[in-house]
Amino acid sequence: MALLRILAAGLLALWLAPPGPLRAAESRPEPEYQLKAVFLFNFAQFVEWPARSFRGPDAPLIIGVSGTDPFGAYLDNLVTGEKVGTHPLVVRRYRRDEDPTDCHILFVAASETAALGPAIARLNGRSILTVSDIETFTREGGMVRFVTEGGKIRLRINVEAAKAVDLRISSKILRPATVVTREKN
Amino acid sequence: MTPFRDMPIQQKLMTMILVTNGVVLALTCAAFVGYDLLSFRQSTVRQLATLAEIIAAESTGAVAFDNQRDATEILGALQAERHVVAACLYDNKGQVFARYPANAPDSALPPQPLADGYRFENGHLVGFTPVVQLAGRDRFGTLHVKSDMGAMWERLRLYGLIAALVVLVASLVAYALSRMFQRQISQPILALSRTARAISDRRDYSVRAQKHGEDELGALTDAFNHMLTQIQEQNQLLETRVRERTAELEAANNELEAFGSSAAHDLRTPLRTIKGFADVLLDPRTSLSGAEAQRYVRMIREGSGQMSRLIEDLLNFSRLGRQAIVRRTVDVEALCREIFEELTAGPDVRRIDLQLQQLPPVNGDPSLLRVVFVNLLSNALKYTRPCAVAVIEVGIRKDPPTLAPVYFVRDNGVGFDMRDAGKLFGVFQRLHHAHEFEGTGVGLATVRRIIDRHGGRIWAEATPQAGATFFFTFSDPVL
Repeated sequence: MALLRILAAGLLALWLAPPGPLRAAESRPEPEYQLKAVFLFNFAQFVEWPARSFRGPDAPLIIGVSGTDPFGAYLDNLVTGEKVGTHPLVVRRYRRDEDPTDCHILFVAASETAALGPAIARLNGRSILTVSDIETFTREGGMVRFVTEGGKIRLRINVEAAKAVDLRISSKILRPATVVTREKN
Repeated sequence: MTPFRDMPIQQKLMTMILVTNGVVLALTCAAFVGYDLLSFRQSTVRQLATLAEIIAAESTGAVAFDNQRDATEILGALQAERHVVAACLYDNKGQVFARYPANAPDSALPPQPLADGYRFENGHLVGFTPVVQLAGRDRFGTLHVKSDMGAMWERLRLYGLIAALVVLVASLVAYALSRMFQRQISQPILALSRTARAISDRRDYSVRAQKHGEDELGALTDAFNHMLTQIQEQNQLLETRVRERTAELEAANNELEAFGSSAAHDLRTPLRTIKGFADVLLDPRTSLSGAEAQRYVRMIREGSGQMSRLIEDLLNFSRLGRQAIVRRTVDVEALCREIFEELTAGPDVRRIDLQLQQLPPVNGDPSLLRVVFVNLLSNALKYTRPCAVAVIEVGIRKDPPTLAPVYFVRDNGVGFDMRDAGKLFGVFQRLHHAHEFEGTGVGLATVRRIIDRHGGRIWAEATPQAGATFFFTFSDPVL
């Protein structure tokens, strides 16, 4: 009985919870996403953005999450008070109708699989490091895809796509990663 | 082994040079090796730190994106540095993330990272370096490396080998050089000691040590040789003196013997006369007239008188040997004239010419000088008795080699045979018979003794029946 009640309460909560970023904020993400959150945060140290990406030296480095946020508050906690160079780290979440053009790292959540192509196209050549764990991500023009291999998270990086928008990815992360192209995945 | 102080000087010098050389070289090598090892330690730390920095920088991606395989691969690059015995990467929680060698046991690695930096521990150099991508950012993890000191020991061995070689070669060179240089010092000393031994063995003071240079040893050699010269000179002086003394003693002895026999002979002559006449007088068988007896007694008195004169002369003569000489300036010219006048005061039918030159004064004993001139002049008068005109000359002759004036007394009397010149000055030596020319035979002996005691010399030249010349000198009183 008790088990059933908990299940019911869970279902109710799911249903009642508002859609979008806010929904998972309270809960703790799965370990896989904890690690992916750390990776997102680490990308900030291994990627160089062109100067024009920032409005000023104190302008924040924005980690954007579009679609259903799998990290919750974990990512926020991770970046709170952190800086890369002079840029404080900030997490921003985007609704589907928002243009995530002011961020520097954009995590495209699995919920966006269907409209992936237009979502990337919308970035319009801006210097944004796009990251996702969607399988077709690099084929659709995304830059970094998380792949789980034997319980480990590995990176597939489309270096050309990053280069095309003036992002310089440190060779040091290319080493533990697999470099792919749009055609060859 | 011989103690150092008893070693031959050559060996001593060589030992000194070699030991000094060896010690200096060993100290120098030790200083070099010490310095090099110190700087090598520092450079080892720098090298390992650099290597670790590179590996740490290289592994940031692998650590940041949790790629153990990749991190292990990066650590695998450490095998290029064979002295790195172990290494590992810790993640930001301090867990070992990747290790080198890939199969290193946990016991080979510190369970968690220690303070950053490098230190020597148990013969190993260990270090911890942060794995950081951007300066000022949190570390992704820590790299630990552990290197053995094999490189240092290898270097030490190599250095030891080189040092040993250098010391060996340098010692050989030093040995060769010191063999050459030590001769500079040892040769003169050895030569000196050889010379000294030769002298003490053979008592040959004519040898000289060979001089090798103008240094202190040269001065020593000179001093040594000079000493030898002095010894030699002194020896010669002593020998000469001994010879002189011996000769003098022999002469004195001969003189004494001659004197003894002559004295005995000469004293016996008047004694025999006295005894003979006394015997005749006492003989009862003889009957003598008063006049005859008186003549015999007169003969006895004459004999005893002669004997008494003889004894008197002998006493004077022997007194001369003991009497001290009191020197004064004596005007010999005046002395000669005075004596001549005294001697010729009696009645004499002959014509006597005295040719007296100007004579310089003599520094001598006035009474003895008088005896000299009395004897010489009375002799001259005596032996010119057969001549109708007696010419007696007293003068001086300056001999070129000697500055001392040579006085002479010359007469034109009977002279003598030069073969007898040696006997002339002996006591009781008489060249003429007593019945020809009276005398005791002590006069010229007395003269010679006085001249001797004045440090002078007397000699005579003569031709039979043509006169005789007596030359004599008085030495400088200072000498």
